[in-house]
Amino acid sequence: MIQARPFEFMVKYTPQREWIERRGILLWLAFFFIELGAGLFFVSSFFNNLWGLLIGWLICAVLGGGTHLLYLGHPFRFWRIFISSGWKTSWISRGLYFVSFFLILGLVHMGLLFWATPATPLLVVIDIFAFLVIIYGGFAMNYVNGISLWNTALLPILYVVAGIWGGAELMMATALATGATGLGIAVEEWIRILLVGFIILLAVYLISVRYGSLAGGVSVREIAFGRWAPLLWIAVVALGMALPLGVVILSFLAGLEATPVALLYIAIFCGLIGDLATRYLILRCGYYHPIVPSSVYAY
Amino acid sequence: MRWGMTVEMKRCIGCNACLLACKAEHFLPPDIYWNRVIVSETGKYPMVTKHIYPVRCNHCAQAKCVEVCPTGATQQRDDGIVWVDENKCVGCRYCVMACPYQVRTYYSDGDKEYFPGQGLTDFEKIGRILYPHQTGVVGKCNFCMERIDAGLEKGLNPGVDREASPACVIACPTSALHFGDLDNPYSEVSVLIKEKKGKPFHTEYGTDPSTYYID
Repeated sequence: MIQARPFEFMVKYTPQREWIERRGILLWLAFFFIELGAGLFFVSSFFNNLWGLLIGWLICAVLGGGTHLLYLGHPFRFWRIFISSGWKTSWISRGLYFVSFFLILGLVHMGLLFWATPATPLLVVIDIFAFLVIIYGGFAMNYVNGISLWNTALLPILYVVAGIWGGAELMMATALATGATGLGIAVEEWIRILLVGFIILLAVYLISVRYGSLAGGVSVREIAFGRWAPLLWIAVVALGMALPLGVVILSFLAGLEATPVALLYIAIFCGLIGDLATRYLILRCGYYHPIVPSSVYAY
Repeated sequence: MRWGMTVEMKRCIGCNACLLACKAEHFLPPDIYWNRVIVSETGKYPMVTKHIYPVRCNHCAQAKCVEVCPTGATQQRDDGIVWVDENKCVGCRYCVMACPYQVRTYYSDGDKEYFPGQGLTDFEKIGRILYPHQTGVVGKCNFCMERIDAGLEKGLNPGVDREASPACVIACPTSALHFGDLDNPYSEVSVLIKEKKGKPFHTEYGTDPSTYYID
């Protein structure tokens, strides 16, 4: 018998495609830039660093917002999200509200910081929104219970740590570029904690998903030993973790001033590559459970 | 009232009539399917068993797609039918991700022809007038709600009268598909589910599907 089309994908573990293939690749970049920008803004706010705030705001608004809109099938209809009651249950809708409030209030804060005295209560509110911007992508994916790799409480936490870590790295780059050594030393302490936290969280996340369900096991095997394994071991582990960790240990032992600036820039760049690659793997290896009952799997 | 469907798998011969009836009813573009016939084989020669599953949107009572839609484009009617208002859809595809049954489709290429390079067929031309589909939005089975609504207005009984029943149900040559009111204990679907122990797919997701499968 000839089928009109073979639908084997529904009788096997099936990878999601809409959020990573074709224009879906833009969503991967959108989540990265949105969270990186908000993370930089969040970290910069603790040091009242206007350059960090501005760059973080721009990354979030221009790169993050731009790629988000380009990804949509009908970008000019995005305003419909504001007039809908979708925010009650939809994390995409909530995310748009968080990003909008964050960008508007962030602009007000930067204006106050530049021309007058900033209001501390306002900064607290903005930081709360920055945090929500960083975490909403994790919750949006966490809600998808058909994909075991995403449907875990560790994912939003991992994204928060990754977002703030990326922000701290960019803050460090800003400090190095502006010659603010004191700021660099302070941010280095953030990076040490966040980098180690990210490594531990990613390991715990993958191990827990591996044993959580069959589909989770398929996802983790694909990440660690399958087609995408080189990305994990080279981009995430070697470049994104081992190299920055080595530089962090060096700067801890020898002091930040004694660490070559070029090495610090390389570690920052590799850290961001590792973060980006981690997000790619999580999106690329999200597998659905087969739709038909387990007794009739194709293999 | 809650519309639902039962699928008697022993009757299904995998002829794809339901799939084609759906495509014709809704003038679906190439490579877009609102229902599908999936096939799997288990066992080893000579003891091989073939399993055939006609699948479509389950019109879940607790539909994940409705919950995640940021614009309210995916809606659920009082009779349980989940449908997509293409004019409201932004094409974020969150509903495609959230559906654990993978029965939603994103229309990415509206210019695709059934016979590439040979122009639109008369069927495609008339379809673009009678049942236009937008590009950049998500589509799915709507239980032929236009037929149901029109039938109810005429006083017909969906699931009993052909004119008021979904196209896939009336096209099935072996009567493997049945349609009716799940809230009515005397409807054909309710009786079948009760007598033949119909079960929906993946109840663990907490979606409460309206399509039941009978072994």
